[in-house]
Amino acid sequence: MATTRTRVSSFAPNLSSVKSSQHLGLKNGPNGATFISSGISDLDKILGGGFTLGSLVMIMEDAEAPHHMLLLRNFMSQGLLHRQPLLYSSPSKDPRGFLGTLPSPGSSKDDISREPSHEKDLRIAWQYKKYFSVPQLNINTNNGGQHDYCNDLDLRKPLERHFITSNNVDCVSIQNSQNLDVLKDRCAEFLAQFSRNEGGSSSAGRIAIQSFCSPQCKYSDMEWHMLSFIRSLKGMARSSNVVVVVTFPPSLLSPSCSKRLQHMADTLLSVRAIPDEDKELAKLLTGYQDMVGLLNVHKVARLNTQVPVILEATTFSIKLQKRKYLVFECLNQAPVDGSGGSSYGNYDGCSRSTKAVSLDF
Amino acid sequence: MAESVCRSLRDGALEGELAPTLTIKDSLASPFGFNVFSHILVQLSSQIVAGKSQSQGMVIVALSRSPSSYIDLLKMNGVDVESSKKWIHILDCYTDPLGWKDKTRKSGDITDPSNQILSSYKTVKDVNRLFSVICDLGRGLVGGSKSRFCVAIDSLSELLRHSSVQSVASLLSNLRSHEQISCIFGLLHSDLHEERAVAAVEYTSSMVASVDPFHHSVDGQGSNLGNSSRQNLTKGKFNVRSKRRNGRVRVTCEEFRVEPSGISFAPVSSVDGAAVAVAGLIPKVQFNLQLSEKERVDRSRVVLPFEHQGTGKPIQIYDGRRSLEDSNNEATPISGGKKEDSGRGEIIYYRDSDDEMPDSDEDPDDDLDI
Repeated sequence: MATTRTRVSSFAPNLSSVKSSQHLGLKNGPNGATFISSGISDLDKILGGGFTLGSLVMIMEDAEAPHHMLLLRNFMSQGLLHRQPLLYSSPSKDPRGFLGTLPSPGSSKDDISREPSHEKDLRIAWQYKKYFSVPQLNINTNNGGQHDYCNDLDLRKPLERHFITSNNVDCVSIQNSQNLDVLKDRCAEFLAQFSRNEGGSSSAGRIAIQSFCSPQCKYSDMEWHMLSFIRSLKGMARSSNVVVVVTFPPSLLSPSCSKRLQHMADTLLSVRAIPDEDKELAKLLTGYQDMVGLLNVHKVARLNTQVPVILEATTFSIKLQKRKYLVFECLNQAPVDGSGGSSYGNYDGCSRSTKAVSLDF
Repeated sequence: MAESVCRSLRDGALEGELAPTLTIKDSLASPFGFNVFSHILVQLSSQIVAGKSQSQGMVIVALSRSPSSYIDLLKMNGVDVESSKKWIHILDCYTDPLGWKDKTRKSGDITDPSNQILSSYKTVKDVNRLFSVICDLGRGLVGGSKSRFCVAIDSLSELLRHSSVQSVASLLSNLRSHEQISCIFGLLHSDLHEERAVAAVEYTSSMVASVDPFHHSVDGQGSNLGNSSRQNLTKGKFNVRSKRRNGRVRVTCEEFRVEPSGISFAPVSSVDGAAVAVAGLIPKVQFNLQLSEKERVDRSRVVLPFEHQGTGKPIQIYDGRRSLEDSNNEATPISGGKKEDSGRGEIIYYRDSDDEMPDSDEDPDDDLDI
């Protein structure tokens, strides 16, 4: 536990193979998996390449924060930029309105810079991870290629109209439907276009279902109905080249239903709100001022293999760099006992550290 | 802060955004939700009359109290209800919410034409119709498409009693997305409903203000006449969680005091309760480099081995067994610590387990009488 694993290792996963992607936006990964980008380069890195085609991604919302919308926006926009057809469903009356808020690629002159803090003389020991130079395998060397796969999306700039009005995008409103059969039929129709049985890799598609069990939907108390919908959706998605992203607020479901939904996910993420102007949190975390929320990665999809993914860190801070770009950063936690919460196991934030830490008592 | 809550309701909604919605939550332990509700109602009304708020009219959906009580409340607090420019309308869902009088009485209209600001509403169960009635009334108050009005729902608990959680949640979200509504606020008694219903209402609102007792009573009954419950009769804590635009949650806490004239808010006086723990959010750090007080005391008490204990006696190495002193007081010298007579050529038997009593070699069955 005391060994510090340096990031520069010959055994690091080789993500730089961008071979044989005839279609823009697809990347081949280990175990025969094909990835598509989530729209956020940090998230792609954390998940080991992106979202696996054929997987079901579930994002647990926090009732108090709209961060899941940021993730959805980036996901949808990235798909449209790659000309991947999109099916979007939401509990609002007019889902098309949401498309107007999708981000557009930022201008290349303000690339996301990831320098550590500029205090050259004062280096805070427990923030040592910031000072490693992360060998970004395919970002610096193959910059053009990286941008082809995942764009830096500027949340303040709306996507150009021609992307949205093309017939790539289909929207469904589930506000007034009595049950989920309408949505199930639409999804089945959509997924049939991307079936894998025809051999060869056809293009990929994306399905985004927002606020799946929002309380204003009439079916939101029919828990078994919702569970069977998700199960059939997962089964259909498995045999097609589509990534399905579903967001749902777990606090509005019964605990057993929420657990079942979580188990059904191939990739499970959750977003959480942070209190505003909280002095305790400001002491425990650096960079608190720029943070807007927290992201937890609970499960990462591993199709075609039994080897689980074990991440170094599962909690990340959500920041908006320059108020435009969504970045996820590892937490820099002070080694003060922030006790009271339950331990998340051994794979925490920056909690593994050498004993030689200098602190002022 | 109650001030900031009133301010955000007064400022209302921006173009293209959902209207700010406040849910006031109370419970039996601290049943002052209606005091807070009327405080906010009076504040907002006076601002509407003075023209300082975004909304120019108010629609009160009166479910748990009679409309005349609202009129009296406003008049008592100096708000001009009968002004020339009609700014308020009270939807009377209190007198006959389920439409029983229509079924029993065969006579015609019961509405009072002289009363401009009241209109009665039957069949509270039909939430869709309620929504359209609210919108029509509001539009009737403020006119054109640019001006806005606000909605006060006296008791969301009553609405939840009559109709399902889904319909109430859809009513709230429809109201929020209506382009002429400036803000919404409603009262909810959290112990009357299931947790999921309360969670659904909180999910749809942008600010949740909970009225909590000063000290949480231990047994939950609140029937003890100690000092704490006496304080609960007039004072309590006002905790507000508001969702800000950047995605963070502003958590504030204030004390309130109920007086005959109304309710007053003050910042938290003493640090009574525990500080809000944020540690559930971030993962627990695996090491702690600081010592607590108890740990410091214990550290100073640890007797280090091989340290000179300095009383002139031969140095006893404390190896966990009983010391030489104790063993000398024993009748039998069987159990004991190290002895320093290794030069005498005896076979000295050192017991492995020191916690057996001496003489335990006896047959334990000896005391059986068969």
